[in-house]
Amino acid sequence: MNNTPYVPAKEDFQFLPDRDITTDQNFASQGYWKGVAISFFRNKRAVVGLVIVLLIMFLAAFGPMMNGYNYDTIVSVTSDEGKQIVAQGIGPQISGVIQGSGKNAGLFPDHTFLFGTDDMGRDLWTRTWQGARISLIIAFVTIIIDMIIGMSYGLISGFFGGMTDNIMQRIVEIGNSVPRLVIVSVLAIFMPKGMVLVIVALLLTEWIGMSKISRAEMLKLKEHEYVLASRTLGAGSFHIIFKEILPNTIGPIITQVMFSIPTAIFTEAFLSFVGVGIVLPQCSIGSLIEAGFNNITTLPYQILPPIIVLALLMLGFNFIGDGFREALAPKLEDM
Amino acid sequence: MKRTLATLLAALMLFGLTACSSNDNPATSDGGAAPSSEGSTPSANGGKYLNVMLSTNVMSLDTNLATDGDSFEVIADCIDGLTQMDAEGAAIPAIAEDWDISEDGLTYTFHLRDAKWANGDPVTANDFVFAWRLGVETNEEYGYMFGDGVGNVKNADAIMAGEASSDTLGVAAQDDKTLVVELTAPVSYFPSLMYFPSFYPINEAFYSGLAAGTYGTSPETYLSNGAFVLESYTPGTASLSLKKNDTYWDADRVKLPGISYQVVGSSDNALTAFRSNTLDVVTINGSQVAAAEEDSELSSKLKVTGAGYMWYLTFSQTDKNAQGGMLANTNLRLAISNAIDRESVVDNYVMDGSLATYTAVPPQFAASATSGEDFSADQKKFADYCSYNVAKAQEYLDAAKSELGVDSFEFTMIYGNNEGDEVANVAQAIKSQVEENLPGVTLNLQPMTKAERLDKMQNDNYDVALTRWGPDYADPMTYMGMWVTNNANNYGFWSNAEYDQIITDCTVGAYVTDYDARWDALYKGEELVMKEAVIAPLYTKSNANLITDGVSGIEFHPVALNRVYKSASIG
Amino acid sequence: MVKYTLKRVGMALLTLLLIVFLLFVLVRIMPGNPFPSERMSAEAIAAKRAEMGLDDPILVQFGRYMVKLLHGDFGNGTSLYYGAPINTVLSTAISNSFRIGGIAILVGTVVGLLLGIVAALNRGKFLDGFCTVFSIIGVCVPSYVFLIFLQYFFSFKIPYFPYFFDANRFLFSSVLPSLSLSLFTMSTVARFTRNEMVEVMDSDYVRLAESKGLYGSTLVRKHVLRNALVPIVTVLAPLIVDLLTGALVVEKIYGINGIGKLMVDAITGEGVDYNYVLALGILYSALYIGIMLVVDLLYGLLDPRIRVSAKEG
Repeated sequence: MNNTPYVPAKEDFQFLPDRDITTDQNFASQGYWKGVAISFFRNKRAVVGLVIVLLIMFLAAFGPMMNGYNYDTIVSVTSDEGKQIVAQGIGPQISGVIQGSGKNAGLFPDHTFLFGTDDMGRDLWTRTWQGARISLIIAFVTIIIDMIIGMSYGLISGFFGGMTDNIMQRIVEIGNSVPRLVIVSVLAIFMPKGMVLVIVALLLTEWIGMSKISRAEMLKLKEHEYVLASRTLGAGSFHIIFKEILPNTIGPIITQVMFSIPTAIFTEAFLSFVGVGIVLPQCSIGSLIEAGFNNITTLPYQILPPIIVLALLMLGFNFIGDGFREALAPKLEDM
Repeated sequence: MKRTLATLLAALMLFGLTACSSNDNPATSDGGAAPSSEGSTPSANGGKYLNVMLSTNVMSLDTNLATDGDSFEVIADCIDGLTQMDAEGAAIPAIAEDWDISEDGLTYTFHLRDAKWANGDPVTANDFVFAWRLGVETNEEYGYMFGDGVGNVKNADAIMAGEASSDTLGVAAQDDKTLVVELTAPVSYFPSLMYFPSFYPINEAFYSGLAAGTYGTSPETYLSNGAFVLESYTPGTASLSLKKNDTYWDADRVKLPGISYQVVGSSDNALTAFRSNTLDVVTINGSQVAAAEEDSELSSKLKVTGAGYMWYLTFSQTDKNAQGGMLANTNLRLAISNAIDRESVVDNYVMDGSLATYTAVPPQFAASATSGEDFSADQKKFADYCSYNVAKAQEYLDAAKSELGVDSFEFTMIYGNNEGDEVANVAQAIKSQVEENLPGVTLNLQPMTKAERLDKMQNDNYDVALTRWGPDYADPMTYMGMWVTNNANNYGFWSNAEYDQIITDCTVGAYVTDYDARWDALYKGEELVMKEAVIAPLYTKSNANLITDGVSGIEFHPVALNRVYKSASIG
Repeated sequence: MVKYTLKRVGMALLTLLLIVFLLFVLVRIMPGNPFPSERMSAEAIAAKRAEMGLDDPILVQFGRYMVKLLHGDFGNGTSLYYGAPINTVLSTAISNSFRIGGIAILVGTVVGLLLGIVAALNRGKFLDGFCTVFSIIGVCVPSYVFLIFLQYFFSFKIPYFPYFFDANRFLFSSVLPSLSLSLFTMSTVARFTRNEMVEVMDSDYVRLAESKGLYGSTLVRKHVLRNALVPIVTVLAPLIVDLLTGALVVEKIYGINGIGKLMVDAITGEGVDYNYVLALGILYSALYIGIMLVVDLLYGLLDPRIRVSAKEG
């Protein structure tokens, strides 16, 4: 053995000249998620979806601050006789460029209302993005929690089957078959009304759909060979459920998540029927659509911004969902 | 590929059917049981029926059980009382041809005309005795109309309290055509009470022949003596129809072959239904009124009528609420009342012709019997305590702040979100105005169902409530009675001995026979309410109706019966 | 299988009993008064409560209610449609909602499945994109907005269909509400079918079948659809319950006295009508549990590998 320590020479730190050697192309081992990300971004629709969603999120975050109005500011002037005149029902108007419609529009010439004003005389641009903000928060919080609860519940219930499944499904039935209006109005006794109550109310019922889907998937998948193989190799139940089967259920679950978003948004609007929805003058996409619907004959433009935002959100989330699905399960990649 | 699809289609149809078959069975069996009586083809009876919108379902056709204006309207189409309303709302003879009043004003003798029930039975005094005893005995929502303070019918209170038998009620059939009513104290507006459904007759033989609880639940179980008979109705139905009653005593006056009612849940839909000629008479909401006024075709068909009821704010004055009873401070209540721009609320958010109101008793429904002048014609009467005056409101607020030693207040205002299109907007406007005009005051909104709102108010579990009250009869007492100590409608738990004395004097005491003195005493009472801002009146509701060209003679009233069709005709 | 079915039915009945009790308790703590009144004295209301037995111990009340219920009697309302027996009001509402909802489910499922299959077979092509956009619109636009448009064009502009529901012309006047209600089901089913089919079509056994020479309808029917149907049935079941128990806003707009409107009236009227809320709640639960039972049993039929029975337990 040569014990002389190696002394680094200067040449060691210089680039080697290009050598023209033909070798097999060696790919660096790529992490799973990196692969997913690459194939996701290679998907044009997914990227479009991502851009739409990010844009709406950006506007939801900063849109309400882009002009001088607050979401609850009632824009008004005082007339010569000392009467308060409110900027209600003014169609989209840009100061000095586009003149809005509506009987009071002439009194507010130097105001810009990109989406117009609502029946209370508030700026719809601000309210739309404020509503998008509230709805997105509600939708995300409920859906993420729902997904965690519902998915684990459904997978466990479906995997173990037998008595466990039976009892777990009866609990689901009890929870789901009490009409939502009853649950929610009882719930409202114990909590102040507002966003938190809406989220809790949605949580109580929305996870069940998710659990049903994942249970059905589990019932379908658990007899597959790879599960048996995994079990033979000594894998525990929870390893099989969450490591082996869960990734394979992701497709239907993502579809369900995408469709849960508008459900959450509309359910929130529906809750206002029992006085449990978002508390006015706060707004949400659902409550804006409802308000627009109430004025659809007189102020038809009022329903457009919230419904378009909702449709775009849905479209965006769907594209993202599809992209994820295909990226997570490469076998689905177009052949 | 095409074959694939065809096979698939067939398979899927089959699947679709099996998925639904579990539900088809109950549907078909119910289909047989469900009466096919809803709606009607108007042409069946010759002339065209008048198609009228109702805002809510008819809750009951039983005069003792009904509580809402829409039900009262349909009941009054079918049943005539002793008196009826003329176009101006005054009481004119109906089943009673005329009546005598004893000198002390305590005994009314009604002489009935030869009227018939639709089954041919004559309408007798006993039908009234039976109905009134039943009404007092069951003592439902409007049972109080018989009792002291309103109808003053002898022994009514004792029977309602369960202390006497219903035979002792001060009403008797002297003979088939003479009805004698005894009162405990004179009631100046007694004849006008008689057109209220609670005082209508019920045919005893017919009623007793029905299974318990089925009276008024179908055309077969309902007997008319009025202008129309029930043609199709089931409880909960969204559409019902009435046809002309040929045996009605005044049948010549009734021009309509029938009325077809349709419940329309959203007023937005009402406008389109009106435009498509599906409905002839509809009520529209404020924002549509603004649009209709600009529409040359609609503006001529628009008719604004008083709806009677007044919206107002009530303040809880107990320690339980409002940061430990802050709202018991009169200056604070006055500050809030004066910070509200009622004209702006009415012009910008209600928009249907409703009137900004500054008096505890709203205008338009109670006219003096001697002068004919509206009790609340002068809305400036209490301008010192109730007007829109920001400077004064802030003075009151400063006074309240120093008296209470607090700089900022945070209250919650409750309102019903299912009580009409404009209520939520009005609540938001009030919040915005109060917070802007009164620095340091925060008014949070809490929407809830009307059921919950009433519950909270009755259990004194609220700070400020946006609530309403409609007149039951054409006398200021229908409002003034509410603020008596311990009255169930005294939601603020306000108590004032002087006020209580005035009301007692006006109902059973010194003023009952002296009409003008009573009127003045009522003003004094009203001033006490306004001076202490027990309530903050907001606006008196109007209905904006659209009526098809050619339809005339519908009588609109702000009190008791909102619409009467006895003189109505189509083109 | 028979034993399993019986056991499952027994379990469902037990669950239903539990739910009825739960509902019974919940209804009594709901905000709002069963005897709403602004004019009656506190004593008069107390007397009515006593008459209804609302002051008795809850178990006594429940027992009394169950005895009546087993005789098929839901009692009378406390604040809604005074005096009329609930059975009368309910039977009309059920008949209306079931028929309109039934048509909506049928149309929604059939068209939805077809759309989904067509999209899956044409993956990545125009029809697939159309299906995606269609299903997104269907889920985004609430059924009542859709109804408003239908009503505007087909009862107002072209007055072909009645503007309001008319029980005498049932089929004719259920076209618009059923159509607008079916949209959501259609979209959901189409989307799910498409995704499930795509997944199944990529599975090894379908490839195997293809390589064996199977193609076209046989392949789709025997191998793809059957396996794709299981999760679709799951999605469909709650939709069926929702549609049958009435869509509030659609019923309100089109003047249908159905279950959805009845429920909201019972909760948001002047007071909370205990008996109506209970009756409707029980109806809803019974339907839900019944349909879930059918779905569970269907699983076995659709996929012979699945036996939910206690094989492992």
